[in-house]
Amino acid sequence: MGLRLSGISKRFGDYQALDTVDLEVRTGELLALLGPSGSGKTTLLRIMAGLEQPDTGSLQLHGEEALGLKPRERGVGFVFQHYALFRHMTVLDNVAFGLKVRPRGERLPNAEIRRRVEELLRLVQLAPFADRYPAQLSGGQRQRVALARALAIEPKVLLLDEPFGALDAKVRKELRRWLRGLHDEMHITSVFVTHDQEEALELADRVVVMSQGRIEQVGTPAEVYDNPASTFVYEFLGQVNRLDCVVDGGIAALAGGALRVATGDPVQGPAVAFIRPHDVTLSPDPEGPGNVLGVVTVGPQARIEVGLAGQILEAEMPRDRLAQIGLRLGHRCAVQIERVRAFPRV
Amino acid sequence: MPGEAHASRSTLVEPLWLRAALIVAALAFLGLFLLLPLTVVFVEALKRGVGAYWNALQEPDALSAIKLTLMTAGIAVPLNLLFGVCASWCIAKFDFHGKHLLITLIDLPFSVSPVISGMVYVLLFGLNGLLGPWLREHDVQIIFALPGLVLATIFVTFPFVARELIPLMQEQGTEEEEAAIVLGASGWQTFWRVTLPNIKWGLLYGVLLCNARAMGEFGAVSVVSGHIRGETNTMPLHVEILYNEYNFVAAFAVASVLALLALVTLAAKTVLEWRFGHELAATRRGG
Amino acid sequence: MSAVSLAEPVPLHRGGTVLMRPTIIPGFRLTLGITVTYLSVIVLLPLAALAVKAAGLGFGGLWTALATERVLSAFKVSFGLSLVGAAVNAVAGLLVAWVLVRYRFPGKRIIDAFVDLPFALPTAVAGIALTALYAPNGWVGALLKDWFGMKVAFTPLGIAIALTFIGLPFVVRTVEPVLQDLPPEEEEAAACLGASRWQTFRHVILPALMPALLTGFALAFARGVGEYGSVIFIAGNMPGVTEIAPLLIVIKLEQYDFAGAAAVGMLMLLVSFAMLLVLNLLQAWMRRRHAR
Repeated sequence: MGLRLSGISKRFGDYQALDTVDLEVRTGELLALLGPSGSGKTTLLRIMAGLEQPDTGSLQLHGEEALGLKPRERGVGFVFQHYALFRHMTVLDNVAFGLKVRPRGERLPNAEIRRRVEELLRLVQLAPFADRYPAQLSGGQRQRVALARALAIEPKVLLLDEPFGALDAKVRKELRRWLRGLHDEMHITSVFVTHDQEEALELADRVVVMSQGRIEQVGTPAEVYDNPASTFVYEFLGQVNRLDCVVDGGIAALAGGALRVATGDPVQGPAVAFIRPHDVTLSPDPEGPGNVLGVVTVGPQARIEVGLAGQILEAEMPRDRLAQIGLRLGHRCAVQIERVRAFPRV
Repeated sequence: MPGEAHASRSTLVEPLWLRAALIVAALAFLGLFLLLPLTVVFVEALKRGVGAYWNALQEPDALSAIKLTLMTAGIAVPLNLLFGVCASWCIAKFDFHGKHLLITLIDLPFSVSPVISGMVYVLLFGLNGLLGPWLREHDVQIIFALPGLVLATIFVTFPFVARELIPLMQEQGTEEEEAAIVLGASGWQTFWRVTLPNIKWGLLYGVLLCNARAMGEFGAVSVVSGHIRGETNTMPLHVEILYNEYNFVAAFAVASVLALLALVTLAAKTVLEWRFGHELAATRRGG
Repeated sequence: MSAVSLAEPVPLHRGGTVLMRPTIIPGFRLTLGITVTYLSVIVLLPLAALAVKAAGLGFGGLWTALATERVLSAFKVSFGLSLVGAAVNAVAGLLVAWVLVRYRFPGKRIIDAFVDLPFALPTAVAGIALTALYAPNGWVGALLKDWFGMKVAFTPLGIAIALTFIGLPFVVRTVEPVLQDLPPEEEEAAACLGASRWQTFRHVILPALMPALLTGFALAFARGVGEYGSVIFIAGNMPGVTEIAPLLIVIKLEQYDFAGAAAVGMLMLLVSFAMLLVLNLLQAWMRRRHAR
């Protein structure tokens, strides 16, 4: 077992950053802490690193109580959001720092330190930049230096705070793939914080969705996307339609009863139906309940706004399919819904 | 967590004993080097009681020194204020070649020893100076007289106002002035109604520091004064004379007035920084 | 720049000397005229007079005026003890800045404001106050004499103390803002990488503060070299031992040796400017290398 947190709470003044959080990080997995800003994910990460002390709760690192330990005693690698590279040190010195500050007895000989640092720089593909200063590197390069620096101390757990947050879209995508590859190679227990759902779903083995200092759901990317445990998770992950409905005996009646869809949720009476746009199928039908109010195309995809008994439902389909069925603005259409999750109306 | 103070970053705090030791060491140093010298001025001044203190300040030579100091500062500070506003207007509102050289030259007096600041006028206007013979012919006395004191004082306090205003006005840019002029204001109206309200606290700040230095300057005026008691002695020079005559109570009495001036200046400066810090260049640059 | 948006940046060539970017804001010629005239009359012409006077001596004359035992030792005293004062301030100023920025304690803001006292207190007042304190019968002087048999006033040590006093705010005021803006993440990164608090300070914080520390040091040093008022009372002014260069200028002026005074003054100016230049270059180099 990698990390086990139980009952972790933390307040900053009047602000409850974390509220009795329990979480287990398995050895060798890549775990994403996903949530909007202010959800407590960074605080949780900083508590794992020992940069912050929780008010209550316990933290076990590979079976040993770790809350009393200082960051240096925990054997964790931390990659900061803005990298926090040492500005006055070269890339080489940055990466070597953790090895050089060890107590005299545990310190490797200088030649050995140099060898290991160079090996790491090759790993992050920065060997030619060893003598540069951070200011002379691009954002993606700085990110990889920060990673190499964290890996140099051979941490048992690697913690990354918004690792791609400060990068532009293209570099971000490349680095993401590269980091996944690196993790598959090294299998080091890793936790990263992100507010980007795409990043979490693409990269992580498991995703922890957080909101307002609490964990909403933990699961594989497919689990949290397909079976959100709460309305928050539903809305936070991907696009979703919310329509009023009435559930009776496992059947959700939408649009004043014009549409009936089976739902497995144990709800009875007035409820809110959550429907993914790609779970909606439209077909031209002059008698259908839907009314096409707008069509927007984004690359190969088309988004169609459909008026349905005074409410708006968004559907998504490939552009060529839309052209095929010949649905246009102002047309009436039939609506078919693959899947609905119903939650009680609040 | 934006805005979190260092204090909340538990890993970045030293153990209590070390913190306490560092605070005590810093305070001890400041106490020894700042508080004690300040205290000793007042203690020595009042050594023979309030009566002796008061008498020392009532003495005609002391009074004339106070008058001369007020007069010197009264001429030097407004002139430097005027210059400071002109210099910062042309440097902050316009782009022209040689601007950086001009800024460097304005700062120059700060890197010149006060004694040299006084000496240059002696070399220029003194009896054997470059213009000495001409001045004697026309019966103009500059050195060992009020004009020399004023010139030397202007020299050493030259950069204060400009140095506060230039960065402040540069930061504020030219948009508001341009807007005013597009709306039909004259240059003069623009300055009084748009620029001045924006820089008033910075101006006051610069004047405050300029005045403190003008009244307290010693080295530069010492060279040009000639030390004629009751005539060309400013307060700091009078302190020196009394001290060298072993009239310690009187020396410290006059010194205590200057020390009070320094404290008032510090207090006013601090109040300005606390209340209008965002409208001062000095505090925004951090000192 | 907003000026650009209103007018094309075509260089104007008027009067042959000033190239100015056109703008609708008035007053350029007037304010520049006043500025340059005032600057010339008050600062540049008098300094030129100094240079002319010193140059009038010729190389040989300058050599005879400067290469005397008394002048050399005055420079040694001024520069050497300024160095000592600035070094003390570099350490103590760093300590004070650290405590004022990082720790919370009662009266902190007042104490912070109080640090500027040496800027505000007239130097003559500081001079007699320090002398009274450190004289053999003074509060501190008597203690040092009784306990350690040390004499402070009227010795080089006294000069060093006066120079420490007047240079004190420079290091504190240059280091404070940099310390304030230091990203805490760099220190946290060091802590995560296993550095002790001391190692973090030594390898991460101190190098980041170095440029500011150096600036403060140089400013304190430069101020010390030219300082007069606060030193002459406590120095004792023994030629060759505790006579500072500025005092030598005053003495030469009193003896109507204007050329000699100009020579000493010129040398002081040149050395100070050379130092400021080196400092500026050093800073520019550091800033280029570590710019964020």
